[in-house]
Amino acid sequence: MTAREAIFGAIGAAGERAVADEAAIAAAAAGLLARCAPTRPAQGAGTAREIFLRRLRSPALGASVAAVGRAAEVPDAVRRHLAAAGLAPVVALQPHPALRALDWSGFDVRPAIAIDETAAVGWAHGGIAETGSLVFRSGPDSPTLFAFLPLHHIVVVPARRIRPWLEDYATLEAGEAWPRNLTLVTGPSGTTDIEGRLVRGAHGPAHLHVLVLDEGG
Amino acid sequence: MSAMAEPASFRARVAAAVADPRLAEAIARTTGTARRKRAAAVASWADFASARALGRDIKDHVIAHLGHYLALFERNARASGAEVHWARTAQEACDITVRICRAAGARRVTRAKSMLGEEIGLPHALREAGIERIETDLAEHIIQLAGERPSHIVWPALHKTREQVAELFRARHHDAARGADVAALVASARRELRAGFFAAEVGISGANFLIADSGAVCTVTNEGNAELTTTPPRVHIVTAGIEKLVPSTAHAMTLLRLLVRSATGAEVTQYTTFHCGPKRAGDPDGPEAFHIVLVDNGRTRMLAEGLREMLRCLRCGACLNHCVVFRTIGGHAYGGTYPGPMGAVLTPALDGLAANRDLPQACTLNGQCQEVCPVAIPLPKLLRGWRDRSWREGLEPATLRRSLALWRFCVLRPRLYRLAAGGAVRLVRMFARNGWIRRMPFAGGWTRDRDFPAPPARTFLEQYHRSSSARGERR
Ligand code: SF4
Repeated sequence: MTAREAIFGAIGAAGERAVADEAAIAAAAAGLLARCAPTRPAQGAGTAREIFLRRLRSPALGASVAAVGRAAEVPDAVRRHLAAAGLAPVVALQPHPALRALDWSGFDVRPAIAIDETAAVGWAHGGIAETGSLVFRSGPDSPTLFAFLPLHHIVVVPARRIRPWLEDYATLEAGEAWPRNLTLVTGPSGTTDIEGRLVRGAHGPAHLHVLVLDEGG
Repeated sequence: MSAMAEPASFRARVAAAVADPRLAEAIARTTGTARRKRAAAVASWADFASARALGRDIKDHVIAHLGHYLALFERNARASGAEVHWARTAQEACDITVRICRAAGARRVTRAKSMLGEEIGLPHALREAGIERIETDLAEHIIQLAGERPSHIVWPALHKTREQVAELFRARHHDAARGADVAALVASARRELRAGFFAAEVGISGANFLIADSGAVCTVTNEGNAELTTTPPRVHIVTAGIEKLVPSTAHAMTLLRLLVRSATGAEVTQYTTFHCGPKRAGDPDGPEAFHIVLVDNGRTRMLAEGLREMLRCLRCGACLNHCVVFRTIGGHAYGGTYPGPMGAVLTPALDGLAANRDLPQACTLNGQCQEVCPVAIPLPKLLRGWRDRSWREGLEPATLRRSLALWRFCVLRPRLYRLAAGGAVRLVRMFARNGWIRRMPFAGGWTRDRDFPAPPARTFLEQYHRSSSARGERR
């Protein structure tokens, strides 16, 4: 008997019917999901964009956020943010076409990300108002490590892609397949491992700055 | 496993723990913060109670159809390019993991904290196989340096004060922080571990959820070490208990809200990642191979033996933080991988009741754990179940069995009982000084740590009879 057979055998012996009625199980699972919406924590008033901004500004999250009207304004917003942090205009640029299309003159732009990169500019697939989370789908234009290696992570998220709830990015949209990594990033990295005290910048970024882009939405 | 030999008996470990004032301080610092933050998070969630009932029902649904969901998960994980392995026991799980490491030519692995990995003894198995292991979670890094075991399922280094961590880092880090400032200690670990992420051939993680309808594995961390552990190496191995299944990503979100608020009081972890298969064509990063080791190790036995409800556990740690016993004795005293109330239920199931019969006894049954459990596990009921079984299997010591038999003999004979009780009260009062008993033969276990109030001069029944006859005279 293989380990697999033994485990399924033991589950069967513990009382599960050998031939499960798949339709009934699916209906029960859907019923559970239908109960989810009314149990969710209250969000307060406002559009998803407003709530998202509010979450990101809350001190508990530890991020910073600014709105930009047009994509072309992003490099300037990045420059200002870096200067305010006392950093030179040197960035690793996520290989996203919308970012690459912008005018980065005056920047030292790195095409790949280094192990101890100081600053990276990223483009998120979406945002979640409930938690102030950024959604990244790994792929050719969104390497996973861009969200984890830099000390300062500056991320553009299109306002029209901000959805109210965690569940809103939990299902596939038309034509999508699951990426290798679907990652929700909520604030900068942190740890409470020593005496329960929160410290930012454990392994991932110590600083997260979000640019909400209103153009096109 | 520990650098310092741990006492063999539960009682001896407890005695050592309560004698350590630094431990008491360390436990109080972390669990106090955790309780405060959880209470605030729950208070600001109007429908927490119905979310909790839903979380319970989602887990019960999966456990009721475990075979169905396991098969579905396996099918979808394979379709995503993952290799799925099955392990009946801890030994099998370690053997599979070590075999994959060897086949990948791994000399070094990085590991993101996983309680299942601790449960199956993976750190030990890797050492035996001569594979260097780099723990990447800060707390796991601390206890790896100290050569110790985790003492909490969310904060494995909870038993260490910042001063102790500072001392450890000064001795072991290449570029250690000066002083015991927590932020400087975290920065020191960040510097120390950074290169390690890229020096491993294999990255090993656990799973917080296994998503049946996509075949993905969800990890949650606040540090970002899971993704740094699972992305650069050529091979990613997940070791996960078969109870971690949920029907879909959307179902996982309800459980995620419950898990994180109960664990740290935050709304969501900083990093929540669904890992689905190996690197895709065109992906700039990610492992070439993705292995998932599904581990039973006693879980199907728990299904069969009345511990089904325990399989709901999300490993949030709330029951530990709220337990008066855990807060007094800390995690190491429990002796197993899992401490606190959930550990007192799990350890006898995983490691046998005979060697662990003290654990379900070390409980006041105050019910706090069940009250804070985000999936409403009836921990006190399960603990009483173990006590019952321990009695039925004759595991309780002979002295206890004999005294209870004697007590039963007396209780069934009211005259004898009254006589014995009256005698006992008078005897015990002979040791009283100013209403308190400081020392008494055969009561050292109690009086060593606390005084005992002297009983009233007469038993309840004697007083009752006296007062009712007095009332009778007046009438
Ligand atoms: S038993 Fe409940 S409270 Fe304890 S760790 Fe598990 S889920 Fe959390």
